[in-house]
Amino acid sequence: MARLIRTEKEVEGRYEEVWLVVEEDALEQWPAGPRSIVGQPALRQDGLERARGEAVYTADLKLPGMLHAAVLRSPYAHARVARIDLTPALALPGVHAAIGPQDIEQLTDECGFQGAAVAAVCADTYAHARAAVAAIDIDWEELPVLLDPDEAVARGELIGEPRVRERGDYERGLAEADVVVEGTYRTQVVLHNSMETHQSVVQWVGDTLEVYISTQYIWGIRDEIAQGLGLPPDKVRVVCNYMGGGFGSKNSADDYTFIAIELARRTHRPVRCALTRREENLVSGNRNATIQRLTIGARADGTLTALRGEYVNATGWNGWSSPVEGPMQMLYACDNVHTTTYGAKINQPPMKAFRAPGFVEGTFGLEALLDVLASKLEIDPLELRRRNHTDHDASDDRPYSGKNLLECYRRAEPHWSRREEVRARSTETVKRGVGMASQIWYGGGGPPSYAWIRVGSDGRATVVTAMQDIGTGTRTAMAQIAAEELGIPLEHVTVSLGDSTRGPFASISAGSSTTPSMGPAVRAAAADARRQIEEIAEQRGTPGAPLAEIVGLLEDAQILGKGARGPNPAGMQVLTFGVQVAEVAVDVETGEVWVDRIAAVHDVGRVINPLGASSQIEGGIIQGIGHTLSEHRLHDPGSGRILTTSLDAYKLPTIADVPEIVSELVDEPDTQLTNLGSKGLGEPPIIPVAAAIANAIRDATGAEVHQLPISREEMLRALREAAEREKVGAPARV
Amino acid sequence: MRSARRQRGRRLELRRASSLEDLEDSLFLAGGTELVPLLRNGLVRGESLVDIRDIVPRGIDGQRIGAGATLAELECDPQVPEALREACRLAASPQLRNMGTLGGNLLQSTRCWYWRLNWPCRLHGGDECFAREGEHREHAIFANDFCASAHPSDVAAALVALGATLRTNRRELPVAELYRLPSEDDRRTTTLADGEVILDVDVPAPGRSVYLKAMERKRWAFPIVGVAAARTDGTTRVALAGVAPIPWLLDGSVDAATPLPRNAYKVDVAKALVRRAEAALDA
Repeated sequence: MARLIRTEKEVEGRYEEVWLVVEEDALEQWPAGPRSIVGQPALRQDGLERARGEAVYTADLKLPGMLHAAVLRSPYAHARVARIDLTPALALPGVHAAIGPQDIEQLTDECGFQGAAVAAVCADTYAHARAAVAAIDIDWEELPVLLDPDEAVARGELIGEPRVRERGDYERGLAEADVVVEGTYRTQVVLHNSMETHQSVVQWVGDTLEVYISTQYIWGIRDEIAQGLGLPPDKVRVVCNYMGGGFGSKNSADDYTFIAIELARRTHRPVRCALTRREENLVSGNRNATIQRLTIGARADGTLTALRGEYVNATGWNGWSSPVEGPMQMLYACDNVHTTTYGAKINQPPMKAFRAPGFVEGTFGLEALLDVLASKLEIDPLELRRRNHTDHDASDDRPYSGKNLLECYRRAEPHWSRREEVRARSTETVKRGVGMASQIWYGGGGPPSYAWIRVGSDGRATVVTAMQDIGTGTRTAMAQIAAEELGIPLEHVTVSLGDSTRGPFASISAGSSTTPSMGPAVRAAAADARRQIEEIAEQRGTPGAPLAEIVGLLEDAQILGKGARGPNPAGMQVLTFGVQVAEVAVDVETGEVWVDRIAAVHDVGRVINPLGASSQIEGGIIQGIGHTLSEHRLHDPGSGRILTTSLDAYKLPTIADVPEIVSELVDEPDTQLTNLGSKGLGEPPIIPVAAAIANAIRDATGAEVHQLPISREEMLRALREAAEREKVGAPARV
Repeated sequence: MRSARRQRGRRLELRRASSLEDLEDSLFLAGGTELVPLLRNGLVRGESLVDIRDIVPRGIDGQRIGAGATLAELECDPQVPEALREACRLAASPQLRNMGTLGGNLLQSTRCWYWRLNWPCRLHGGDECFAREGEHREHAIFANDFCASAHPSDVAAALVALGATLRTNRRELPVAELYRLPSEDDRRTTTLADGEVILDVDVPAPGRSVYLKAMERKRWAFPIVGVAAARTDGTTRVALAGVAPIPWLLDGSVDAATPLPRNAYKVDVAKALVRRAEAALDA
């Protein structure tokens, strides 16, 4: 039965109080442990289609008569359009329409960052459109740029209000401390660089707008467009069958979609608007740079007495200030915590959510400084973390729905205990060491989300829900859940997804929420169908008869099940946890860092597909290694213009940079959470990577890195600083 | 206020050269791994494009290597000295090495981001080196006062250290003389004349040779510092990639470098690699 509740909705650490209509979740959880299908490794249902190139992504779509759009973007970090004339573009062959700042709100003549969209043209081919954009007659008035985030904060140029979060009495906590450590940590701008660039293909069919888009949120796109255009939402159809990566950057419709819509309206033709790789490196969002000024106070036994953080998010021209203080607030027990977080408004392209936004950056600073503390106190770093473990949410006193971090630590022991052996393999010039870091993050998902299921006389089932699989393998996980509940082979379940007109509302695929939001709805739908089949069996006088036997009687009749995601447990904090142990080698003469091995142990409740889960962990760790060692979006310090706009200048990790990865999941269902007890795994694996590597570098060399990426320059600086410190005689490692 | 109005690109004529005559006023296409991106980004313009693959030798015959040989062919040929093989092996990615040729590699342009983004810098004929005042962590530590661009070719450094000579359709010259530092009057970084094509490279067999490379990731990156060293009859030549606007024959110590504020770390890296290269020759 549906009921109305007041609840907190969380996406990527941002909360809002909402009224929600939810349905009761009456199913009992399955007992812990792998079952016949759920918990068993399953190949991706669409793996072959993708590998063979048969899967049609938005980027592959060619609609009859489709035109191609190109966008004029600001070449300056801050400039005003003094004059613009589109007529030279319209005069060129193959050009069908051109729009400028007066036409739609996504085009502007006041550009606060390089890449801001000013005008757009559509033409028979992309080359024609590009040439027409180049022909637009435009005069720019360049304006002064503000690039330094500290200066922006000092001048009050902020995104949102400064966020102060305080508990206990920080000053008193500091007074109780036997040891105080301080450090300033900086993280760089990194880019999502999805394989499939941001793009949409749109067409008007009668009074309905069809939008084919590479997106993480079919329903959000539908509502955003309907609202933007003043259309009833059911006049907007949003389709995304296959998706080439998003990592948080594809949650909204963005300028390119509205440009395509307006050009399609004017030309009565389908229009594609796709970012080029260079545009993707400029305006598709980023993980913003941060500055973190941190203080930790502790007693001699390691008990944390005071934590303080002053955080600056270099947010960009707009966006939001990510929860970079989250790990300091939440990861450990400490009575006295004070954090202030500023979002600096600067003339740089806006940030977007990027795989655990804020927590990746905040974990680097906090966990690196915690190892400095461990070494001062001469306490084993893993033991220090155990001593400060908390059994309830330290930031708001709520109990956890489930937490197995201590079990993660226990399972990390064999990896952590390799330290002596790893260090012993050091040479004169190559030093080796082991480091660890903890992980905390959200990932509980939530209502509403729905699924339907139909079972035919052939004994096969089709799950229908308008969710999206953003490449993480959730399509396969949903099939496993339905097959498990119905007791039929996995191959007998098809999942139909990716189309807002074909199926009920489904969750955003962000905040590690697809599996925990959608999985319970799919199981509820399958259970609904199963109950109906069981009732038929009873009416027939053969209770308990096999499903195939009963549905075999159906002929053209079908069993239709529906299911909804129930509420999250009231008054509880639903979080994910984990720990990673990194082994590194550092060439102390050239500053080269190798990551040899990363062991990851995470707690995300019940695991649906161990094979898909290990892929998520590997992907997160590899992306984390790029963040830690090589990726860096650079800008010219004078003008603010972006310098790394291609994949040779912006250095993603290659396969040669990937270490041995050992992954393990605790796989204990969260007994408080839904009929599955599963949480999300999309984001947790990237969170502790940088800190674990930095701490391994410290273990290997005594050098304290304070900046990402850990380039040769930063590594050699840290080594020089450590050599200076050694002269004074401080202990290098514990 | 500035007016930014760009010209529409023109269609380029492509023809296949069958002789070494009539090559003036043309762009030369071999592997295309460098030229095609430069054309696409408007960094190189021309009236006609000549495919020279039929007229440039590509075999490897003892010391003589056709300029049309691909890096992939060189990296696994035992006739090729170690430094050159290793420079090929550590360059680019397998796909690029399958296409990219020896001659093209020697003539590639800098990866300086300002140059690649077509800022009006000195190499483009302008009156400013934006990297010197701006973002120069990947830039030159030698001969960087006029233009701080870094020469990206691993292969060129190896050939300079090996004392290789080039044969073109006009002349023979030491590889080192293919390059010139850009100056106020002449912004070019090579001495190749219009219509001049590199045909082959004569690589004397050294006693020993070695190439060491520091990169920002393990593969597929241009050198932060590349160090080639070759020793023949007791004479050692050391040449560096990624440290000057042209391949840099080290004459004396790395200490003579003149780094910019944000690239002094390259001096440390270069010193360590030079020391190791020399130790490898001694071993």
